[in-house]
Amino acid sequence: MLCEECNNREARFAVTMNVNGESVVRHLCPECMRAMNANMRGGNIAGVLSAILSAITAGEGMRRPEMREKEPAEQLPDITCQRCGTTYVQFRKSGRLGCPGCYEAFREQLRPMLQQVSGGAQHAGRRPLETLEAQRTRSRQEELTRLMQQAVALEDFETAALLRDQIHALAEEGGADA
Amino acid sequence: MNHPAVLSSRVRLARNYEDLPFDAHRPGVAETCVSRTANALALSGEDRGFALLTMASLGEDRRDALVESRMISRELAASPDSAVLLQEDDRLSVMMGEEDHLRIQAITDGLSLDEAAARCFAVEDALSRHVRFAFDDQLGYLTACPTDTGTGMRASLLMHLPMLAHHKQMGSVSSIAAKVGLNARGYYGEGNEALGDIYQISNQITLGRTEAEVIATVTALGEQLSETEAELRRNALAERRTATEDKIFRAWGILMNARLLPLKEFYSLWSALRLGAVLGLVPVSPESLDSLPVEVQDAHLRAYNEKPLTGEDLDAARAARVQSVIRAAKR
Repeated sequence: MLCEECNNREARFAVTMNVNGESVVRHLCPECMRAMNANMRGGNIAGVLSAILSAITAGEGMRRPEMREKEPAEQLPDITCQRCGTTYVQFRKSGRLGCPGCYEAFREQLRPMLQQVSGGAQHAGRRPLETLEAQRTRSRQEELTRLMQQAVALEDFETAALLRDQIHALAEEGGADA
Repeated sequence: MNHPAVLSSRVRLARNYEDLPFDAHRPGVAETCVSRTANALALSGEDRGFALLTMASLGEDRRDALVESRMISRELAASPDSAVLLQEDDRLSVMMGEEDHLRIQAITDGLSLDEAAARCFAVEDALSRHVRFAFDDQLGYLTACPTDTGTGMRASLLMHLPMLAHHKQMGSVSSIAAKVGLNARGYYGEGNEALGDIYQISNQITLGRTEAEVIATVTALGEQLSETEAELRRNALAERRTATEDKIFRAWGILMNARLLPLKEFYSLWSALRLGAVLGLVPVSPESLDSLPVEVQDAHLRAYNEKPLTGEDLDAARAARVQSVIRAAKR
């Protein structure tokens, strides 16, 4: 089936929208799905909204997209999370994973879904305190390495040796924590 | 800038313990969430002002009232083993044993998502010193539903948009919101209803964007809607003053004189009255009316009157409550 937005690429997603009380399914390709999501970053809300003022015409009706990957016709893989016993088939039925371990067990199956729904499936927000500590250590290490390379370039080997010892000390600290 | 269309801001963080199954209905899961979270908060010394309320220990009316005030979710209220750590006056709650192990939530007045987020993060930081949340370098915070992973954050605004609703523009607003990864929907009522012209704007996407980016986008849409609403209000007064006033003054008349006030009728009259307050046509401030949609719900009316009211008695109590709140607010 072709994407109903671009009428060009193969539709991979079934987006359920609520139009005036009726459920309408629109089929979108990953490109158009991504474009829908990526607009958020551009923050081009102001321009679009001002159009409302100038064009008070009949409303298009309520739309409430619920993102859901289209059920492929082929057999779902027979995988079970060893930690909690949840199967991939159960997850696809309920939409709920069994435990944090399911993310590892179903990683390959979840990857395309998450990547397409969220644009780039790389977490960009806060991290737990422990990881923040590790992050600080890493950025300190990077800073020291940069200074060491500068010192070497200036043939200041004494400073470079001191910096190298500090980097090693930091690495050992990090290792002891882990 | 003042945004009278924004009733309140809410931020909610989903967090899970890495060593427990997500399903809080499995034996022992909810109890472990509750004891572990309460202990961690106590150890951090940040537990002052929090009350620990288990769902099993609360009466049905008290649970319903907490759902009406949005302090707990309906799902939490229905799970006897679940509990909430609650700072009711500050509208800060930590739900334990929900769809996710923890839902940390803060509600603030007006357009103030940053403040709501800061309150949630303060609680999360206090807990993080003593517990480990499920986290993946690539996927962020792991949640029961994979569409919540990443920040695990929902940032939402509750907005009163009577003019956009009057011009039947909320359909377009919803499509625009969807295009930028946000969701706009009626808050009260079933299906497509938006009783009281109250709408919730929130983010749909939690992965790949920082909390600050998401908050900025939701705030930007809130500001734009608020300004659009203001423009439409000015037009209504300039072009249809008599009809606009008629609707508002009729609402005032009925609200101040009705003896029985069903909830649905209340919402529609409240919306007209609040519009009148924003326009300065009635002698009350919009803020003084903002708590009414919660105050007049069943469990709140039962608690206020200390009686197990039902049916017509509820409609009568609702009329009386509305009139006393408006009289107290009158300038």
